[in-house]
Amino acid sequence: MTHASFRHEAMATHFEVVIAGHDESYARQAAAEAFRVLDRLEAELSLFVESSDIARANRLEEGASIAVGDDALQCLLLAAGVAEATGRTFDPAYGSVGAPGHPQGAPVFTLDPAAHALTSRAARLHLDLGAIGKGYALDRMGEVLGDWGVASACLNSGGSTVLALEPAPGSAGWAVGLGEGGWRRELRLRRRALSGSGVAIKGSHLVDPRTGQAARRSLRAWASAPAAVLADALSTAFFVMADPEVAAFCAKHAEVGAALARADGSLELHGALAAGDSGG
Amino acid sequence: MTTSPQQPPGLTRRDFLSAGAKLGAAILAAPYIVRAAAPQEAGDTINVGLIGCGEEGRVLLSAALKIPNIRFVAVCDIWPYNRGYGERLLKKFGHDPKPYEDYREMLSDIPGIDAVIVATPDFMHAEHTNASLRAGKHVYCEKLISNTVEGARSMVATARATGRFLQIGHQRRSNPRYVYAHDRLLGQAHILGRITAADAQWNRAVTEDLGCPAHQEIPEAILHKYGYANMHEFRNWRWFRKYSGGVISDLGAHQIDIFNWMLGANPRSVLAGGGRDYYTNHEWYDNVTAIYEFPTKTGIVRAVYQVETTTSAGGGYHEYIMGDEGALKISENPKYTRLYREARAPEWDKWVSDGLIIRPGTGEGALPPVKPWEKPRPKLSMVSKSDSTVDVRETAELSAWDMPVVLDKAIHQPHLENFFDAMRGKGSLHSPGEVGFATAVTVLKVNDAVAARKMLMFAPEDFTA
Repeated sequence: MTHASFRHEAMATHFEVVIAGHDESYARQAAAEAFRVLDRLEAELSLFVESSDIARANRLEEGASIAVGDDALQCLLLAAGVAEATGRTFDPAYGSVGAPGHPQGAPVFTLDPAAHALTSRAARLHLDLGAIGKGYALDRMGEVLGDWGVASACLNSGGSTVLALEPAPGSAGWAVGLGEGGWRRELRLRRRALSGSGVAIKGSHLVDPRTGQAARRSLRAWASAPAAVLADALSTAFFVMADPEVAAFCAKHAEVGAALARADGSLELHGALAAGDSGG
Repeated sequence: MTTSPQQPPGLTRRDFLSAGAKLGAAILAAPYIVRAAAPQEAGDTINVGLIGCGEEGRVLLSAALKIPNIRFVAVCDIWPYNRGYGERLLKKFGHDPKPYEDYREMLSDIPGIDAVIVATPDFMHAEHTNASLRAGKHVYCEKLISNTVEGARSMVATARATGRFLQIGHQRRSNPRYVYAHDRLLGQAHILGRITAADAQWNRAVTEDLGCPAHQEIPEAILHKYGYANMHEFRNWRWFRKYSGGVISDLGAHQIDIFNWMLGANPRSVLAGGGRDYYTNHEWYDNVTAIYEFPTKTGIVRAVYQVETTTSAGGGYHEYIMGDEGALKISENPKYTRLYREARAPEWDKWVSDGLIIRPGTGEGALPPVKPWEKPRPKLSMVSKSDSTVDVRETAELSAWDMPVVLDKAIHQPHLENFFDAMRGKGSLHSPGEVGFATAVTVLKVNDAVAARKMLMFAPEDFTA
């Protein structure tokens, strides 16, 4: 079975789409359509694009509202949901400055899905979808490929978040490596996403939004979930969470898996990953 | 739209809640969901019909949906794939548009349409606009007003005869940064001194022709009925002479319009070169370079325009207005918008203290704060090898003066607002049919000059419809 691979630069990284089961010309056109959607999403979700919904939201005064596009709304709803579910170990509004008298723990932005409206509840709102936007884009791109009748494909953003659709006929799943050295294992992903989070550069750190302090973890964490947007956001949450918190989260959410690197290079697996569920 | 045999596993727009539910009720964002205060009244609701829901139609749709009291009551497109996209998007926003293949049915079926947005291929602009105007609708028509001067002239005449508004989609004319540059920097402060030259470019990387999802082709009889030879030409109409004015129209029209506007003049000549040198299956030129001569109030200005479709040349697109005391580089992207002072010019401190411009090193160029999510990400080893990448964010350069203006809306939104405001009796159109006509005359002559391989002259009356 032939595979055709296409790359595109967006969201400050490289996206890649690998398509199986179609002639290269058709696969290229389908991938190009997915990349067009990716570019549109970047313009709507990027903090760094002046007229994006997110940049506009970050200029709001407390109590003021703006109308946002459907993708910004959906991505923010998901981000808010993951923030709630993870006890704000993932928080798209971390870095916001609360308004005087703002109740502790109350959201610094609110959404009105029916009106497609976002309201700031912060003195200075600082939304950043950097830890979820790429995953959201991968899901949207997968949807475009579905529209094009492309069933067998694997997409990734910067090699750190992977969305596997159906595998090529005869294959158990798209091969994705997890861990390093002797502890490296190969997963066969099918209809599932995997995302890694960690500190690749010595001296850098990730902040725990709950405390404002550096997260204690110094080794990598991975999240497996039925959608790239969830895997992307959860990998950040898992990096920030203590090990028992990760285990408890996975126990509560059967569709989610986690892998945590130990100092000796071995991997501690939870949930769907411990169960050997690579999708399906 | 058909669905694939199996839905993709990613979280689709269609099933956010169900996918969220897979993770249990706790994933729902209940504390974040609060009804927003209703936006301040912007006037009576305007009922809109959209003709053409392709790439540009979708951009306009998304921008218009952010404007209060605009209701889409119809979506018209001969391709069900596009029509379905528009319908689904509008329903998410609580609109209930009626779908149409034929714009004539739309116009006769729904008498309550107040305005029509035309975002079809250029060769249909005149037919769609003229019919809508004659049906009593106001029209926002995408640029280029038409792929022929005759078509453009007919649209201006119909707008005059019917007394309806006709706005052409040169959206830079409503962009607050462009308006500020035109009115304040050039019009009032004359900050560039005597303007002597201009240039602009829009260079794009090689792209594949657009394809069509399997089983979504429009039947040939339908294509022929609406004037298209086949599906490939329908999808790639910009490359074919019957439907379009070519790249000088598709990309150049926006920026050449800025020459006319910023210089306050129409050109008197154009010299151009170009060719079909790279793509063998297209009709139109894939590269064009033009030199205009503008007789302005303060002297001759030569303006160069370049459009390439074979190289992005580092990316970005901009217009550059150059004078003997300064230069303005301006773009829809603020990253490419800067002011430069000539050494011989009087100091600009006065303009800074007056708040007209911002001194280098301040404003939007400042480094963004460090955020927890902007972290290096570990790589997953993939079956398909990808080169290592570094997550580097762009940072604006600080070497030039800035304008204290932010575009706080979707890029096309202010121009649509200007159109709807005019309908409500608030202000006048920024780009009426007459402006679109003069720009079309300016732009389309380039193709004639390329073909003639010589300088062609304009007469002042050429620009009057």
